[in-house]
Amino acid sequence: MNLVLQTLVSTLVQGSMLALITIGMNLVYGTLRVLNMAQGVMVMVGGVAAWTFVANFGLSPWLGLVIGVIVSALLGMLSYGVGISRLIGRAGVDFEMTAFISTFAIASIVQNLVQLFYGPRQKDFPTLVPGRLELTPGVSITWHQVLTAAIAIAALSALGLFLAKSRYGLAIVAVAQNLDAARLMGIPARRAYVLTMGLAAGLAGLAGVLLAPVYFVSPNMGDLPMLQALIVAIFAGLGSTKGTIIAAYIIGFVQAAVSIFWTSTYAMPVLYALIVVVLIARPFGIAGKPQEARL
Amino acid sequence: MTSDHTQPTGSRWDAVRMGWPRPRPALAGAALLVAIVFPFIAPDRSWLSTAALAMITITLAQSWNLVLGYGGVWNFGQLAFYALGAYAAAVLATYLPLPPWVAIPLAGLVSAAIALLLSIPALRLRGIYVSLLTFGFAEVVRLLIVADQSGVTGGSYGMSGFGGFGFSGPHALSANYWIGLGMAVLTTLILFALIRSPLGNGMIAMRDNPALAAARGIGQRTYQMLVFAISGFLAGAAGAVYANVFEIASPTLMGLGPMTLVVTMMVVGGLGTVTGPIIGTLLISFVQMQLQDVPEVRFIALGIVLLVVILVMPRGLVPFISGLWARFRFWMDEDQDWTDEDYADEPEPNAARQLAR
Repeated sequence: MNLVLQTLVSTLVQGSMLALITIGMNLVYGTLRVLNMAQGVMVMVGGVAAWTFVANFGLSPWLGLVIGVIVSALLGMLSYGVGISRLIGRAGVDFEMTAFISTFAIASIVQNLVQLFYGPRQKDFPTLVPGRLELTPGVSITWHQVLTAAIAIAALSALGLFLAKSRYGLAIVAVAQNLDAARLMGIPARRAYVLTMGLAAGLAGLAGVLLAPVYFVSPNMGDLPMLQALIVAIFAGLGSTKGTIIAAYIIGFVQAAVSIFWTSTYAMPVLYALIVVVLIARPFGIAGKPQEARL
Repeated sequence: MTSDHTQPTGSRWDAVRMGWPRPRPALAGAALLVAIVFPFIAPDRSWLSTAALAMITITLAQSWNLVLGYGGVWNFGQLAFYALGAYAAAVLATYLPLPPWVAIPLAGLVSAAIALLLSIPALRLRGIYVSLLTFGFAEVVRLLIVADQSGVTGGSYGMSGFGGFGFSGPHALSANYWIGLGMAVLTTLILFALIRSPLGNGMIAMRDNPALAAARGIGQRTYQMLVFAISGFLAGAAGAVYANVFEIASPTLMGLGPMTLVVTMMVVGGLGTVTGPIIGTLLISFVQMQLQDVPEVRFIALGIVLLVVILVMPRGLVPFISGLWARFRFWMDEDQDWTDEDYADEPEPNAARQLAR
């Protein structure tokens, strides 16, 4: 019983985290058709930026959270300007492939720059709120985990409201649904792209700061979240936001269950094996749109 | 090489119009000669061992080029076949008394069989999803090897001390280098022959226009599975040669870092060209060797090179330069006004004939 409860709690925390990271990737893929391999690096940049200000200037971790989000969002917009915008509309070049490789290059550059300046050592980051919460005897959960889940869910809800209600959010949705029609209605697609990249990176940065006390701050703290986010993205079907959230919790559950009932070493292999099966049975994920069949 | 008798006369089967690579025997011969005598002109041992690794990487890059560049299948799991080949060779050498000459083709067959299996689910997917599936597959392989505690594969430390080719003396490294070179030349020849065969034409047709290719009777299933198997075989053999030359097989053969490296080599040289991966591999290997002492800067430089190449010349160095060269030749030959359309993607028939002259 305790193990089951532990699994459920873990699912809630991990799933929210995964949803936060993956939803950015899926937004970017939906609007820009770019599989953003730099998303994991944005997670890391959020954590490192927050750590820099908290450790060097003694700011409160909450302020670090805000700074981490802003820095990674700016970096996301910059990476669009440097790496992606010039590839759009090039004749004779496969945009998806070149943009995929270009984000890959950006990820490699940023990660190694951080490693050059900060060194590979893992750094401690203070928790936002200390202490634990006893659920039942034997099952406890840190307040930080509660907060992580709460912030993630709040951010996701805010994102949902933004996309559904605000002018700019609707512009992003419109561009994702039909680029030509959106353009004909006078939506500046390029601005929607910049906004999407900023949003996606900002959400990743938020996740990075929230993960920092658990995973520590280091140049490759984004690698594992990135691999997990890829799994969620495939499972959900690229470009679907609702599917992403469902998939994130399912993947979070599988991961928690495997870690708790078996061993955490096999959590990732099991997940990837699951994904291979899902792709074979349903090639476009649980909620993705089938890409136009090329026969 | 074979251009004289495989290229019938008449405009219908013009090799240039077909997009076939044209052999340049003089240039290829000169390059081969330099490559063969390289151990005698190399400044020191680090050059030679870099060159030996580069030769093996050329084999790997060419096998990858076959699927990614010519087949247009987004396979990002090629390093798994490479590593599996290395492990297969290491396991064969450790547990069975097999000479490397038998172990290398066997390792290739193991990788080919696994590639064939992977091609079945990959057939159901398109574009980016194929890359996710293949990358995911490679990660599973890597994580399983790292997590292996049975002692067969040595977990994250890898396998070593199984002998290799067994050369000794001052020229052991040279001999290893020549084996790598032979492998690279052989792979390039196989690639070249494949591209000019009906299989290669079908593959390219499927990459450029799948609907038309299917309508003309090119079955995606057969072609893609064949290409995966051949490419997997070559990658596995490359891995086996690596294991025998460096006498180690470890999980560090795979993962994001090595993948960045090889993808950079292919993209910088030019995907979907015969010479591109060779030039890219040699170039990047040289740069990597110069920056050996500063690992972080090395990867930053790699990333910047990749980014700049993809932004400035997305099709790679070789197509970029041969495009410039064709422009220059055209400008020299034609004493007339020209416009961009004259040589936009394919040369005009008369321009093509002049280029082929």
